[in-house]
Amino acid sequence: MTSATVSRQASSGLYIGGLIWTLVRTDFKTRYHGTIQGFVWALMKPLTMFLVLMGVFSFIFASDPAYRVNLIVGLFLWEFFAQGTSVGLLSLRAKGFLISKAKFPSWIVVVTSLANALITLAVFWVVILATLTLSGHVPSPLASALFLWYLLHLTAIVIGFSLAGSVLFLKYNDLNQVWDVVLQAGFFVAPIIYPLSILPERFHKYLYLWPPTPIIQFARQVLIAGTTPSLKAHGLLTFEAAIVLAVGVWVFRRYAPRAAEYL
Amino acid sequence: MSAGRAAAILGVDKVSKTFLVPSVRRESVREHVMDLFRPRPADRLPVLQDVSFAVRPGETLGIMGRNGSGKSTLLKIVSGIYQPDSGRVTAGAPITPILELGVGLNPELHAIDNIFLIGSVLGLSLREIRASIDEILAFAELERFANLKVQHYSSGMSARLAYAIAFKAVREILILDEIFAVGDEGFQTRCKNRYRELRAAGHTVLLVSHSPLIIREFCDRVILLEQGRIAIEGDPGPVCEAYIDVTSHRPIPETEPAAVAG
Repeated sequence: MTSATVSRQASSGLYIGGLIWTLVRTDFKTRYHGTIQGFVWALMKPLTMFLVLMGVFSFIFASDPAYRVNLIVGLFLWEFFAQGTSVGLLSLRAKGFLISKAKFPSWIVVVTSLANALITLAVFWVVILATLTLSGHVPSPLASALFLWYLLHLTAIVIGFSLAGSVLFLKYNDLNQVWDVVLQAGFFVAPIIYPLSILPERFHKYLYLWPPTPIIQFARQVLIAGTTPSLKAHGLLTFEAAIVLAVGVWVFRRYAPRAAEYL
Repeated sequence: MSAGRAAAILGVDKVSKTFLVPSVRRESVREHVMDLFRPRPADRLPVLQDVSFAVRPGETLGIMGRNGSGKSTLLKIVSGIYQPDSGRVTAGAPITPILELGVGLNPELHAIDNIFLIGSVLGLSLREIRASIDEILAFAELERFANLKVQHYSSGMSARLAYAIAFKAVREILILDEIFAVGDEGFQTRCKNRYRELRAAGHTVLLVSHSPLIIREFCDRVILLEQGRIAIEGDPGPVCEAYIDVTSHRPIPETEPAAVAG
């Protein structure tokens, strides 16, 4: 027994890895009933949404030949943001049965809850790539690298919102409803179903404050328009993502030690 | 005593904890927005006041007290699940809390997935978990139900599973809350045997129980909590007698801090 104790202390890194893997696996199992069909079924919602929006809005924006590709890139990036932050917000309360019984680093619960949204995004990336290729926009290596760079920023933003939301939801038990409203409004604030250019130029800088907007716009530029945002624009994006992540970490560190007491 | 404190593996120093129980509870954004300018009435419920004790390596310290005397809150603070308002807990070794673990299982998963989940939360590596699945199922007598979702288990079955996992994951210091009250006679005997093994291997234990029999049998020293303070500290015999006095002679107050603390 004593030797086991010693080896366990020595392998705390291993234990964190095992914990992350177990949490991701159990999340996948409980959400999709452990089957691939369950996972495919969960992909139907954003796919249906895409088909409906495309059916309706490509008539309205019929003059824009790139409208469909722009829509699919924007919609799937948005889907990751919306799904990730919603699940992240619920994550600590959903795992309340664990955090009230044992002490372990609870940020792991929040970060691993995003795994399913990431898997969904990876699958959608295949769809996006197919659409791009079919429409003659095969991304160059530079465009792909920049797109990955934006995804990294988006993930940091989602983690920031999730960390803050997860602990605040323990204190305010209707925060999920508030967040649903924010997401609903945010869907239209972000230029997903419309091109940003239809709005007057003077509003653009405010729309860029909503974190999904610059991600979606930059991704469209490199993947579809074939242009690269300026260095300054990239700096501002990194700055915005860093602020969101830092605020999220700060809020989480402030409330997480007492998380079990709010349950 | 001072020599004992110096060699302590677990020290609790002047720990106090108060729960704020608002007479009007605001738990939502809506309530906060609506009541922004109204003062917030709240009752302060002191659950623990200036609690200090030390446990030496290999020692079993018993904790007794009536419902609402602060035992569960104290265990959660020592385990690091709750934060004390003042005072500190110093632990010289990792702690495994075995609280009312039956509720710690995920009902949507079957036994083996729950073993992975609880085992990894309690600090076991995946390899250690894989190696001990059979042993855990045997200890809980659930081999036949390994692939049944825990939501179909009886309460006794899920409690047995939870304790079997926790007993496998024990680190240096063990915190047990009413452990020997779970399961049937056979399971209780296995728990006691496992506990004796751990004790013989030199583990330090904090043991909460309402049963003077258990306390007398297993503890080296006992503290009696009364309204969040240590009323008596000493050998099991005298403290158990004091506990019986307290529970039989005095009426139980209407407010029960532990229950409110949830």
